[in-house]
Amino acid sequence: MKILGLYKNSQVFKIALAIAILVVCFIGSVFYSQMKKLDATVALIANSNKTQLELEKLLSVISVYETNLRSYIITKDESYIQDRFLSRGKIEESIQNLKELTANDTLANNDINRLQILIENRFKLFRQTLLIAKSKNAVPLDLNEKLLESSHVTQVMKAFVTKIIFSESAKTKFQNDNHQFELRDSIITAFLLVLISLLILWLSFNKMNVDIAELKKANDKLKLLNESYNTAEMTANLGHWMVNLTSDTYSFSDNLFRLMGVAPNAFEPNLENSVKYIHPDDVEQVTKLHMDSLVNRQYTSTIFRYLTAKGELKYIMGVGSFTKNGAGDLIKIGVNYDITSQYKKTLELEKNNKELQYINKELEAFNNIVSHDLQEPLRKIQMFISRLEEKEFEVLSMQGKDYFSKVRATANRMQNLLIDLVDYSRTIKGDKVFSDTDLNAVLNEIMHDLSTNIEEKKAVVNVGNLPIIKAIPFQIKQLFINLISNALKYSKEGTHPEINISSLTITEKEMQDYKISNKEDYYKIVVSDNGIGFKQEYAEKIFLLFKRLETDAKYSGTGLGLAICSRIVDNHKGFIKVKGEPGVGAEFYIFIPKGDLL
Amino acid sequence: MITHQDSMHILLVDDDEDDRAFFSEAIQELKMNNKLTLLKDGNDLMDYLILPEIKLPHVLFLDLNMPGKTGIECLKEIRADTRFKDVSIAIYSTSSSEKDIEDTFIGGANIYIKKPNDFSKLKKVIKEVVNMNWQFHTSGLNIETFFFSV
Repeated sequence: MKILGLYKNSQVFKIALAIAILVVCFIGSVFYSQMKKLDATVALIANSNKTQLELEKLLSVISVYETNLRSYIITKDESYIQDRFLSRGKIEESIQNLKELTANDTLANNDINRLQILIENRFKLFRQTLLIAKSKNAVPLDLNEKLLESSHVTQVMKAFVTKIIFSESAKTKFQNDNHQFELRDSIITAFLLVLISLLILWLSFNKMNVDIAELKKANDKLKLLNESYNTAEMTANLGHWMVNLTSDTYSFSDNLFRLMGVAPNAFEPNLENSVKYIHPDDVEQVTKLHMDSLVNRQYTSTIFRYLTAKGELKYIMGVGSFTKNGAGDLIKIGVNYDITSQYKKTLELEKNNKELQYINKELEAFNNIVSHDLQEPLRKIQMFISRLEEKEFEVLSMQGKDYFSKVRATANRMQNLLIDLVDYSRTIKGDKVFSDTDLNAVLNEIMHDLSTNIEEKKAVVNVGNLPIIKAIPFQIKQLFINLISNALKYSKEGTHPEINISSLTITEKEMQDYKISNKEDYYKIVVSDNGIGFKQEYAEKIFLLFKRLETDAKYSGTGLGLAICSRIVDNHKGFIKVKGEPGVGAEFYIFIPKGDLL
Repeated sequence: MITHQDSMHILLVDDDEDDRAFFSEAIQELKMNNKLTLLKDGNDLMDYLILPEIKLPHVLFLDLNMPGKTGIECLKEIRADTRFKDVSIAIYSTSSSEKDIEDTFIGGANIYIKKPNDFSKLKKVIKEVVNMNWQFHTSGLNIETFFFSV
């Protein structure tokens, strides 16, 4: 792992390589000098061997001469001593060779010079001997003497040559030993050289492998990144482009081409070519913005349209900013998003919003009509009814009186309906200003407002200790007015209505049923009565607009009261539930979130 | 200083003929010895008030929704003129919208009456308002007591 780490560190590797090369160079030079030395030794040995050979040759030539001379003396046959007898060409040649061979060795050279003198001497004797032998009046004694002397000189010469050969041979032996030794050294050096070279080779190879693997890995990563980037651009419907301001070259991403409705790299990326795909009305604006930004180097952001070859219109959000690349060139990078769908949605939304605003205004106008313009004639009808009732009622027939009271009841019902409609519309629109509202105070007010009604019905209203809640005061008042009025309205005949209003803790079952995670999140206020009640299966329906359970004329509901309650609780991000039992009564449960949930 | 005398002057400004008739009948039936003047709109009212020979009303019942000069405009003009500072103004309107109540309260009206839908109630309202101790009422005036309920 650590070694691998060192491998990966190029600096360390470079130093190691340099050291290795130095070592190789050093060992190489040592090897070279060793080889040179070896070469010299070999030359020396060869020289010595050649010297020996020449000497042997010399000796043998002289021996041949001697033998020939003897043969002549005995046989007097001239053929033995023909011209070559006196010619010393071969000898001269050998001497010359020897002199050359021993040129570097003064000692050996001296020996050769002495040998030459000896040879000269010997040849002198040859000649004298031959002359004596040829002479007709030769004295055999003289000849014998000369032959003896010749033999002696030959012996001396031979001994001398042998001595030289011996010394040369000794020299050769020494050189040979030296040669062996140097050869061993050289082999070790050569082996070391090979070894280190192999090591360097192996290290380099490994390093190369590691580098290639790393490169491949980096390359794969880059490839993946590029691919995912391309995919991301396609998914996100965006493309990017770059312009190098130094070289004035543009590059477009694949998806930018697609945004323009053409295949990737369909044309050479530059301003002129890409402008062709911009909607003619937007070209000037976009080009100016781009060109200006190249001067002032400011971040750009604009919305324009592409008009593709197929005539498709695309809304594009284009942004651009500046940066510098590795070479220090100023680069502008831009990203173009296809915001067509968002743009269209926004347009649609704006349209819808306008429509909604219009509808809202209409509703408000309608609301005004209901609350004011409709109430005005109705109020007058009621006034006339009260005038008639006061002044003319008695003159009516029985049936006339009956009709008359029906007219009055219907007018009253209409009035209630209008009031409820106004109340309901007030829960939909208007300022929803929340403030700390003391429910005890609210209930006190209601008791006062409804006192006539309560007294009429001889009802008992028990109000427990209620919390202070964050609420829209007029709405929360409306809520309890409606619930209490409801209880009074739907009371059982012959029974004094009893209404209980209290704040209770949330039960485990309610937490489960209504998915309340913490019972401290909500206030739970219960309004219960002993009225006519209703079947539990209608529990959800009674909160719907204009849903009435009782059709009996004596219960003069508008079908709006509980819808208003539901709406108000909704406005407080709470919920309202009801339990009913026919003939027993109804219990309304109001859950209003405590402050933090709003 | 206007005192509660028999010859109390009551002025009603209402564009609705029926409402003027109801009002007049109610005053008659109450057998109050009052001087009652009926005007049909805001312009008439402003013209009337500056007549030199008239006696300023003690209580002015002012409808809001009228053609020409509206009740609110009249209210502002009257309250801007110190000559009329002793005139008690009772807003008399079908509307019971918070906005109207607040605007007239700020505008300096003394009481806000929602037109009743029952003649007997109308009589009750007129009786109570005319006999009201304005000084006491005005000194303790707030938005809750401003809206008159029978």
